[in-house]
Amino acid sequence: MTTLSAKIQEVFQEPACQKNRSKSDKERKKGCTKILQPGAAAGGCAFDGAKIALQPITDVVHLVHGPIACEGNSWDNRGSKSSGSKLYRLGFTTDINEMDVIYGGEKRLFKAIKEVVEKYRPPAVFVYNTCIPALIGDDLEAVCKAAKEKFGIPVVPIQSPGFSGSKNLGNKLAGEALLDYVIGTEEPEVTTPYDINIIGEYNLAGELWQVKPLFDQLGIRIAACISGDSRYKEIASCHRARAAMLVCSKAMINIARKMEERYGIPFFEGSFYGISDMSEALRNIATLLVQRGAEEELLAKTEILIRHEEQKAWRKLETYKKRLSGKRVLLITGGVKSWSVVSALQEVGMVVVGTSVKKSTEEDKQRIKKIMGEEAHLIEEMTPKEMYKMLKDAQADILLSGGRSQFVALKAKVPWLDINQERHHAYAGYEGMVNLVDQIDRTLNNPLWEALRTPAPWD
Amino acid sequence: MERTEKAKSQNADNVLDHFNLFRQPQYLEMFEKKKCEFENPVPAEEVEKIREWTKSWEYREKNFAREAISINPSKACQPLGAIFAAVGFEGTLPFVHGSQGCVAYFRSHFSRHFKEPSSCVSSSMTEDAAVFGGLNNMIDGLANSFSLYKPKMIAVSTTCMAEVIGDDLNAFIKNARDKGSIPQDFDVPFAHTPSFVGSHITGYDNMMKGILSYFWDGKAGTVPPLERKPVDRINIIGGFDPYTVGNMRELKRMLSLMGVNYLILSDNSDVWDTPTDGTFRMYDGGTKLTEISDAIHSKATVSIQGFCTEKTISYINEKGQQTAVFHCPIGVRATDAFLMEISKLTGKPIPEELEKERGRLVDAIADSNAHIHGKRFALFGDPDMTLGLTGFLLELGAEPIHVLCTNGGKEWEEKAKTLLEASPFGKNGSVYAGKDLWHMRSLLFTEPVDFLIGNTYAKYLERDTGTPLIRIGFPIFDRHHHHRYPIWGYQGGLNVLVWILNKIFDEMDKNTIVPAKSDYSYDIIR
Repeated sequence: MTTLSAKIQEVFQEPACQKNRSKSDKERKKGCTKILQPGAAAGGCAFDGAKIALQPITDVVHLVHGPIACEGNSWDNRGSKSSGSKLYRLGFTTDINEMDVIYGGEKRLFKAIKEVVEKYRPPAVFVYNTCIPALIGDDLEAVCKAAKEKFGIPVVPIQSPGFSGSKNLGNKLAGEALLDYVIGTEEPEVTTPYDINIIGEYNLAGELWQVKPLFDQLGIRIAACISGDSRYKEIASCHRARAAMLVCSKAMINIARKMEERYGIPFFEGSFYGISDMSEALRNIATLLVQRGAEEELLAKTEILIRHEEQKAWRKLETYKKRLSGKRVLLITGGVKSWSVVSALQEVGMVVVGTSVKKSTEEDKQRIKKIMGEEAHLIEEMTPKEMYKMLKDAQADILLSGGRSQFVALKAKVPWLDINQERHHAYAGYEGMVNLVDQIDRTLNNPLWEALRTPAPWD
Repeated sequence: MERTEKAKSQNADNVLDHFNLFRQPQYLEMFEKKKCEFENPVPAEEVEKIREWTKSWEYREKNFAREAISINPSKACQPLGAIFAAVGFEGTLPFVHGSQGCVAYFRSHFSRHFKEPSSCVSSSMTEDAAVFGGLNNMIDGLANSFSLYKPKMIAVSTTCMAEVIGDDLNAFIKNARDKGSIPQDFDVPFAHTPSFVGSHITGYDNMMKGILSYFWDGKAGTVPPLERKPVDRINIIGGFDPYTVGNMRELKRMLSLMGVNYLILSDNSDVWDTPTDGTFRMYDGGTKLTEISDAIHSKATVSIQGFCTEKTISYINEKGQQTAVFHCPIGVRATDAFLMEISKLTGKPIPEELEKERGRLVDAIADSNAHIHGKRFALFGDPDMTLGLTGFLLELGAEPIHVLCTNGGKEWEEKAKTLLEASPFGKNGSVYAGKDLWHMRSLLFTEPVDFLIGNTYAKYLERDTGTPLIRIGFPIFDRHHHHRYPIWGYQGGLNVLVWILNKIFDEMDKNTIVPAKSDYSYDIIR
């Protein structure tokens, strides 16, 4: 466990994290999320975080070492799309039993790796540790090392037992595993001065594919997307990229920062959500690439593309403006950067009555204040009860949130639209913003809400 | 010799069934040869050209200009509806005066839909009966069916044949009674149900009115008419309802929850859902014969499917009862209106349990509305059901585009239009009264929709036009047991919602199921 606790401390000390920097040494040691309260509702564990961060790597075997619970409940549960291999959708687990708990699960794990390698010949096996093997002391790293030598393919241990912490910690532990065992282990066949990495993008509902054509048009190549729709080889060799964009800052900041440190790949934080943010992201990428040796004309080409795409999107949005103008939105979101959605919604005339900043950095918050004004309602942490009250009081017309708050919204009789990971509509890029607004329009205008708001007519 | 043995696609060791037989290369080759050598075939391009042409607006206009020919009409004939009404009464044998072939159809129609035996007899009129009148067939028929099947009541309707020659049921039955075919006091209500008028819903109406007026107006002159003494009770008439097994039970459950004193007139939920336990039940359940007489005293009668009871309801009205008419209420608002009417008529409040069920249906709609919102639907069926479904679709935010009803008239057309006009989701909808499924085919080609709602026969439309079919209606032959699920009440709304959703999700899966091609969106979570 010493390696694990060392890893966790390393992650907690992450210097690029805005939040970390503002903490005292003592606070920092304690980690990012507050101590769990037994008996109170809580989110996913570190294993879940690690699994969802890496599961989008499509062509490797994701093998979960543990009893059935962990993989049984997480198998193929993410709408992360693949343009190639479907291997990532199979549920592999050692499904350890009582005897394994008594005598140790290492042998079973080794055999499982052997069988899965023989059967699927994957480019790599990712082995996830869970609470039970960690408790009984299975040496995951040793087994993976032995397996790697024996079978001649990378076998990557991901130290993510659930008890080690939160889902967010798991995201980072997954990032550490990539840094320790994958990134930089292979050389790319070709490199160009236009190669970028996209970090923290998971291709949910195929969102990466809404953005990729824009890069294609500019001749920008995605060396690796970590981890949406990626192949093992792409990630193993992505250390030769020229620049990186960090999409979801909290989950994988350690990857971006350490890659900058190790391989000199500069990165910026950006978002594909919202028209101006999409444009900003393209601009930043172009600028970084030009700084690192790409042709100067890329900047001009980017501006032309931005102008064209923005015009196209605006034209499409114009039709919604009339219907959505003045509608009040409450935005409770974890994964996506709320300020970028805020500005996007304002672009069609909607009023954002409040937004969550739980996962936002200080910088994010400043930006939100800048767009929404000083009296903007920034929500750090919100219990369902508070959310209910806010929906009732603020008289929001619609709640945009993750699936978990859906029922709060329904209880408050406020229309709700899913904008987190279980959604099925892609909201990234220029096209995506039009999609989002279209979905908001539909949701707001569904006749259901009238039925929901009006009491039973005999009351 | 051996070669020819092998060339045969069927041999005793491996007999192929019909699914596979004619797909064997030998047959394919033979068909091709036969076509080229003997059938003087039109070139394949020509066939394709015509096929494409039938999808055009030009063809649609010609199709809609049809004056005489009906192609795939979606309706059945009067006696079918008459039988439907009759079997809902205790120990009642439906007796169709006319040719036996018609009755064989009715029985198979119901058996195929309900997957239950369906008892019904005819007077088996033949050519001489057609010439000399069917009186003897009635006399013998009533005598035989009475002694063979021991019914408590025989409900007589007619086929076209008897109607064309003008057989007088009242006189014939009286004659048979006098001749001793049946006891003097044995109940034989009757209704003239010519198939060349109206459809099965008209037959339902006629038989229902026939039975009520027989009991209330002095049993064809054999006893004094009943005198109405109002009591605190309501009658319910379900109409011709393909979901009668589920609906009747759901209805009774809701009314019991409300504590309503009610009488159902024609309850066929048991006779079309008999248990398999070694006992054959020719008759099961149903409205008691004494209750038919009692029903005149009820303070009100509620018809759940108004187009099935036009004459019956006005007859009941004349007797001095209040009446209320619905059109196959499906969904939240329609059920609200139905329950409130019951509450108003009886003074009983709507209990919390039902209000909770209402909330659950709203919840279910809320959970899934995004998948239905804005989807375009075509639908057809009986007048009441098309209205009920249209209302529900509008409530879900779906867009009914083509609403077609072969047995719908002017009044139905007006009602359907009003319904569509009242919702922004109905603004692209059109209403087609008196049109058939070949019209629907043109509609689906020229103005495509996302989903089609209709009975089993619509599977050909699904095949031809590629429009996914949601089976709701009558008859449903090719899927089993749907009739066991209610479509009325909040529970019923839930069922209809699920059927619609299931098809939407099935289509989503179908659209993404090809391995290594489209399955990147073949998801477990929808």
